[in-house]
Amino acid sequence: MIRFEQVTKVYDHKSKPALDSVSLDVDRDEFVFLVGASGSGKSTFIRLVLKEDRATRGAVYVAGQNVANIPSWRVPRLRRGIGVVFQDFRLLPNKSVFANVAFAMQVIGKSRAVIRETVPEVLKTVGLEGKNNRMPHELSGGEQQRVAIARAIVNKPGILLADEPTGNLDPTTSMGIMKVLDKINQNGTTVVMATHDDDIVNTMRKRVVELRDGSVVRDDAQGIYIGETTTTAAAG
Amino acid sequence: MRFAFVLGEIASGMRRNLVMVVSVVLVTFISLTFVGAAGLLQLQINQMKGYWYDRVQVAVFLCVENSTSESCASGPVTDEQRSAIEAKLNSPELSTYVDTVEYESQDQALVHFREQLANSPIVEAVTADQLPESFRVGLVDPEKYEVISEAFSSEPGVDIVSDQREYLEEIFGYINIASLVALGIAVVMSVGAILLVATTIRLSAFSRRRETGIMRLVGASKAIIQLPFVLEGVIAAILGAAIASGTLWAVLRYGGEWLSREYPQMGFISTQELLLVVPALFLLGALLAGASSLLTLRRYLKV
Ligand SMILES: Nc1ncnc2c1ncn2[C@@H]1O[C@H](COP(=O)(O)OP(=O)(O)O)[C@@H](O)[C@H]1O
Ligand SMILES: [Mg+2]
Repeated sequence: MIRFEQVTKVYDHKSKPALDSVSLDVDRDEFVFLVGASGSGKSTFIRLVLKEDRATRGAVYVAGQNVANIPSWRVPRLRRGIGVVFQDFRLLPNKSVFANVAFAMQVIGKSRAVIRETVPEVLKTVGLEGKNNRMPHELSGGEQQRVAIARAIVNKPGILLADEPTGNLDPTTSMGIMKVLDKINQNGTTVVMATHDDDIVNTMRKRVVELRDGSVVRDDAQGIYIGETTTTAAAG
Repeated sequence: MRFAFVLGEIASGMRRNLVMVVSVVLVTFISLTFVGAAGLLQLQINQMKGYWYDRVQVAVFLCVENSTSESCASGPVTDEQRSAIEAKLNSPELSTYVDTVEYESQDQALVHFREQLANSPIVEAVTADQLPESFRVGLVDPEKYEVISEAFSSEPGVDIVSDQREYLEEIFGYINIASLVALGIAVVMSVGAILLVATTIRLSAFSRRRETGIMRLVGASKAIIQLPFVLEGVIAAILGAAIASGTLWAVLRYGGEWLSREYPQMGFISTQELLLVVPALFLLGALLAGASSLLTLRRYLKV
């Protein structure tokens, strides 16, 4: 579903590459944790998948297509196939829960009838039944992230990218979010989640790809992650 | 759905940006008013040309007692000379140039003179024998004045050949200058309008960066993302064009009416001429704003 071939990304020629010759394959229906300290290149990976930036060297394939060959007017179609959530939720503060999720459908031209039918379904999937008319500031952080997830999946993307989605949440709330992401993955969506939260990684027991200074240093099926606060000697 | 969505975005964008939108309306109003004024002045020149070129004539003035030109050395025009001149005007060689020939006697000249200067005190002092008799020559092509001038200026009995078109050209020259000044102001104001639209769009894009960021991420097309911004500028410019058109209409309707009353023979343009100018103003306003916002968005609203 996502394939990186010797991908290098250099933002600034004076500093080290943000990604350094990264090769990686993420299959359909997989759930992958992308772990690593801050600055290791996780967000850069996600930006390259979305074609928000172009790789300096190497090739990025999404659903079999080299994104470098997608003309700019076709990029929106690529992004319709990918949902994204971020640490800071990025909700529209003056729109209700329903309207925030509906917005993602309106802007790609979905009909009112389809929106009215789909949005409540998706809100149910993320565990926000009955909160249609709440405004974002009336929600907890965990609930706001659920709205963001609902918005990311409402157009039924094949891939969901999550960039530190639990970064602003307490451990209990984070586990709730992980359940939602796992459920979405069970429903057939490929999930790539960037995080440096070792508790979550170790609880979920999914594939773990670790980046360090832009290079893949580990790729374990059902792996664990020992964050930078713990000593590396404990690893293994 | 998409249409309603775009309209909603435009409305909310214009509300958020109301002060800037009002400035764009006002600046496009002023600049388009000057564009329209320049256009109308050109139409006025054309109208006057059409009206007057049929009527203006070349006047061949004949010698009187105190004429000073060389061809009048032998004194006032004689009957033979007058007949010779008339025959020459009606000759086959000149028939391709000359359309009409009318004779104006000294008495008729005095009548015209009194008509034209009805309120002037000098009228009383002038007598018929001080005014020259003349042939009034209408030309097939008014531009070919030189032909008559060359043929008659040294003819015995002819004092001077005068082209009334020269006076008109002078008037047209002044109108032309006025029209160029209006055009110059219009150009400067239009540059101001373009910059203001660019700034407005930039602010608007900034104030809606959350929305557009999300639109990008969920795969909204470039058109859907940019259209509300472009239309916001275009709508403001069209409002400006509408006010400019209204202003020009009022000027023509009331100012033109007054001028036509004061100078009935001048042939002033009427509000009908706006039918030509108004669509051009709307088109120009929309183009200015549209082009300016597209160029701005390319820089400030990456897709
Ligand atoms: N837009 C950018 N311009 C310049 N450097 C950047 C940019 N984005 C990221 N970087 C650099 O690239 C490296 C990787 O960053 P990032 O991918 O954001 O890491 P992570 O998400 O793992 O914290 C860092 O050194 C960061 O400073
Ligand atoms: Mg990051």
